[in-house]
Amino acid sequence: MTAKSGPVLARFFVFRGPLSRFTRIMAGTMTAAAAVLLWWAAPGLGWISPIFLPTPPVVVETLWTMIRDNGLLTDAGISILRVWGAFLLSVIMAVPIGILMSSYKIVGSALEPLIDFIRYLPVPALVPLSIIWFGIGEETKIFLLWLGTFFQLVLLVAEDMKRVPQEYFEIAYTLGAKPRAALTSVAFRAMLPSLIDNLRITLGWCWTYVIIAEIVAADSGLGFVIWTARRYMETGQVMAGVFVIGFIGLATDQAFRFAHRLAFRYL
Amino acid sequence: MSPVPYLQFAGITKFFGALPVVAAPFNLTIARQNFVAFLGPSGCGKTTLMRMVGGLDLPSAGAILLEGAPVGGPDRRRGMVFQSYSSFPWLTVEQNVMFGMKYRDDLLPAQKRERAAHYLNLVGLRDFGPSFPNRISGGMRQRVAIARTLAAGSEILLMDEPFGALDAQLREELQVELRRIQTEDAKTIIFVTHDVEEAVFLADRVIVFSPRPAVIRADIDITAILGGARDLGTRDGAEFFGLRTEILHMLRSAHAEVS
Repeated sequence: MTAKSGPVLARFFVFRGPLSRFTRIMAGTMTAAAAVLLWWAAPGLGWISPIFLPTPPVVVETLWTMIRDNGLLTDAGISILRVWGAFLLSVIMAVPIGILMSSYKIVGSALEPLIDFIRYLPVPALVPLSIIWFGIGEETKIFLLWLGTFFQLVLLVAEDMKRVPQEYFEIAYTLGAKPRAALTSVAFRAMLPSLIDNLRITLGWCWTYVIIAEIVAADSGLGFVIWTARRYMETGQVMAGVFVIGFIGLATDQAFRFAHRLAFRYL
Repeated sequence: MSPVPYLQFAGITKFFGALPVVAAPFNLTIARQNFVAFLGPSGCGKTTLMRMVGGLDLPSAGAILLEGAPVGGPDRRRGMVFQSYSSFPWLTVEQNVMFGMKYRDDLLPAQKRERAAHYLNLVGLRDFGPSFPNRISGGMRQRVAIARTLAAGSEILLMDEPFGALDAQLREELQVELRRIQTEDAKTIIFVTHDVEEAVFLADRVIVFSPRPAVIRADIDITAILGGARDLGTRDGAEFFGLRTEILHMLRSAHAEVS
C-alpha cells in the first residue's frame, strides 16, 4: 500500500507525520492572511458596522495619528517603565528567595503555604484594596504587578533550582567547592536557561496586569489610552492601542528568545 | 608496629531511617594505587559505601580512614565520576577540565592550562578542547569527567557505573583506556559496577557484595591471576573466562538465597 496515489491534501494530514519547513511557514502565513482578510471583509461588505470594526487601513492610519498627535509613544513608554519596574522588583526578590526555598527545606516549608495561597488570589480582585492602601499613584500599579508576578515567579525559581541534578553539587564539592561556591558557580549556572525562560513568561503576565491597573487607576499609559478611547467609541484607537501592546509583547518575547539562543548555544 | 593502611572502611554501618544498607560492621582496607571494583546487584549498598569514601554520605557508625585520618566531608583528594551529569554542559571540554582546578590556589593560571592540556591529551581529547559536551559522544563526556578529576589532583577516583550508559563497543574501548590511564597516572580507583566482565577486566581486586544489606561475599585478587597488563585479548583468555564464571555463580547463589 502506498500513499502516493492519494489526494494532494492527504499528504499534509499524515498522523504525527513530518512536514517541510516551507509548508509549515506557508500554513502559518496563510492562516494569518485569512484572518486579516476576514477582518477587512467584514466591515467592507457590510457584515459589521465600521463603528464596531474599522478596516485594517483605518486602524493603521489611526495608529499613525495617535503616534504623531497624541503622544502614543509616551504612553507606551510609561507602560513599559511600569512593567519593567515591577518586573525587576519581582525578579530581585524572587530569585534569591526562590533559591533559599529550595536550598533550605525549612525556608521552603515556612513560605510555601502562604505563597501558594496568595498566588491564587486573582489580581483584579485586589485592585480595590490596593487603591485603598496606595491611592491611584504609581505605587498601586507597581504593587499590583508585583503581586501578580512575584508569588508565581518565586515558586518557579524554587522549582528550577530543585531540578539542578545533585550530581553537579557533588562534583563541585569533590573538586573543593564550598556549598556557597557550588551554588553560585555551578547550580545557578545550571538553572540559568530555565530561569530566563520563566522570566520571559513572567514578563508577559506583567503586561496583562499593567493594562488592568491602568484601566482602573491611571491617567497615562496604554491601558488608560484604550479605556479613554472606548469612552468616545473610538474603536480604531482602541484597536491601535491593543496592537501596540501586542507588538511590544512580541518584540520583547523574540528578544528574550534570541538572547536565550545566543547565550545558551550549548543546549 | 603495623603500617597505617591507605584507605580503610572501619566498622561501618549505614541506615537510611530504618532501612539497613550496611547492617553488620563493614571492614575493608584498600592499598594505594589499587584498582578495586565493587561488584554486586543493584541496590546492594556498594554505591553508598563508595560515596562514603567521597564524604558524600556519612556512616551511621564507624569511619572511613584515609591514611589513618577520618573522612568528614568531600574534598579534592577524592573525586567523583558519575554515570550521567558527569560534565557541565555550559562549559567547553577544556573549561570543564579547567573547572577541576578552579578551587586550587597553589597553581598559577599558566600551570593550570598546562595541566589541562596534559590530561586532555592523556584521555585522548586533545582536539576537542573547544567543543561543548553536547557535541561529543557519551564516551567522550566520560573522558572529560576523568580528565577533570585527574586535573583536580584527586588521589582516589570514585567511579559510579561511569560506563553504564554506553554501548558495548564504546564501553570496551573506554575500559582499556581507563586501565591505561590508571597505569600511567597511578591513582587509586574504586569502581562500582554490576557488570561482572567489566569488574574482572578492569580491577586489580574485585569485592563481590551480597544483596542488601551489604556483606562481602568474596574478595578476589584478579591481578594475581590475570596479571597487571590488560588489553582486548585479556577477555579471550581461559583465566578471564574462569573468573567470570566463578563470580557469576557466586552472584546467582547469593541471589537465590535471598529469594
